[in-house]
Amino acid sequence: MLNVPEKSQTGRRVMTVLVVAVALILQVSVANRLPTPGGVQPDLVLLAVVALALVSGSMTGMVTGFLAGLAADIVPPADHTLGRYALVYCLIGYLCGIASAEMDRQSVVPFFAVAAGALAGAVLYAATGMILGDPRAEWGTVSRMVPLQVVYDVVASPFVVWAVLRVTRRFERGDRARGDRFSVPAARYRAMSGRSGSL
Amino acid sequence: MKDTRRTRVVLGALIVTALAMITVDYRGGEHSPLRGLRDVGAAVFGPVERASASVVRPVGDTFDAITDAPGERHRADRLERENQRLREQLRAGRLDQDRSAQLQRLLGTAGAGGYRIRAAQVISAGQGFEDTVTIDVGTRNGIRTDMTVMSAQGLVGRVTRVGPATATVLLATDQTSSIGSRLEDSKEIGIVQGRGRRGLGNGATPLRFQLLDAAAPMRVGQRVVTLGSQGERPYVPGVPIGVVERIDNSSGGLTRTAYVRPFVRFTSLDVVGVVVAPPRHDPRDAVLPPKPAPPPTPTPAPTGKPSPGASPSGDPAKARPRGTKSPHPRPTSED
Repeated sequence: MLNVPEKSQTGRRVMTVLVVAVALILQVSVANRLPTPGGVQPDLVLLAVVALALVSGSMTGMVTGFLAGLAADIVPPADHTLGRYALVYCLIGYLCGIASAEMDRQSVVPFFAVAAGALAGAVLYAATGMILGDPRAEWGTVSRMVPLQVVYDVVASPFVVWAVLRVTRRFERGDRARGDRFSVPAARYRAMSGRSGSL
Repeated sequence: MKDTRRTRVVLGALIVTALAMITVDYRGGEHSPLRGLRDVGAAVFGPVERASASVVRPVGDTFDAITDAPGERHRADRLERENQRLREQLRAGRLDQDRSAQLQRLLGTAGAGGYRIRAAQVISAGQGFEDTVTIDVGTRNGIRTDMTVMSAQGLVGRVTRVGPATATVLLATDQTSSIGSRLEDSKEIGIVQGRGRRGLGNGATPLRFQLLDAAAPMRVGQRVVTLGSQGERPYVPGVPIGVVERIDNSSGGLTRTAYVRPFVRFTSLDVVGVVVAPPRHDPRDAVLPPKPAPPPTPTPAPTGKPSPGASPSGDPAKARPRGTKSPHPRPTSED
């Protein structure tokens, strides 16, 4: 990301904000109303943050995570202590950003990373609830919900990751050689993170 | 990107900010200084959610209509497009019909209890551990906090936060919700608490009813209505909540616990009503649907005007018919 031109930088920011906003709106007005078995829904915002962090590094990841979490804290039906999602998503964004730099880029690794991010996010959020003594986050509920939550997140993650990659790539198409339309995500990650000119 | 010093500084700053916000909001409780942020959220995201709900609803319903049209080109093309349009019209018509039927039923229920309601539509739902939804009415429509929200089937919850055009409803199944309630025909009172719908299986009951008098009679199939709060806020009296499905006999405590299946299907909430004015008289059991009667003798009190004799609304003092076993010892049945 260090040698990306300035124009592309702002465009990338706009794109990031758009991705998060769309994920948030889809989350509250579509995903949360799906009558899924178990009553747990995938956390699209978390997945979007993880994907963006994997694409563009820890700095973007944590700032995006913080802002996305803050938005998730104040979006209307939210009724928990303000700042919880901001904290959790910020940490997850940071960790996934770090991981993206260290990652051995096999084509399945990103998906494992997303799954790990989802697990960590769900556990951390539950932990903040328990620390604050939230009556909703008592042990019985948490132990029931977190595994289901992770399963749903993992099921939904390929779609979200694919969508995020698609959007970021479309944006980048101008200054990169087009062609590899259906390349594996790993190559994408490498290309997106801007550290290598291998494509 | 490498983990530079700058990154760490920013991370530290963001975490400290988040922790500070959590602390301030947690300590502040209801009067938290960060309320303003939430109001901003409601003002910004409320209209967006309304818009997205109006888009998402027809799209979701017509999606399969679009996908199941096979791609036969040429001659069929024009016909197909027309067919498509007609089908969508039909769908839209059915949607409207469906909604108007829901409104009808809601009005019927509200009329039976004498509640004055403001109809609303659910536009979004909360995530994480909370059981909350947003509805598309707000201060502009005269909605205030602590108003009862009901649907045609029964109690939905109460309004906890109001924005200009949207309001947040805490559902009865939320774990922080507790509702003063009463068994039908006997006047035994108790508390209905939410257990959280998330992570429970499909057959589970998301409400827990604690009968305050451990010795009072209670049986499976008995129905529960709201008792009514002081000043009729947040809960107005007489709104049906659910049916006792299972009684926990093990405890020797001060209260008895039962599990209640709600009348409302919380997974598919759509048209709801906010009670803007409480009834003049406590409707008692009048709002409950007629008892499902297995022999074809249509007996019980029809849901007509309030208090048709189900209870002379004058003697709440005689509120303890100890031995009155009511003659319907049947297990729960409907829907």
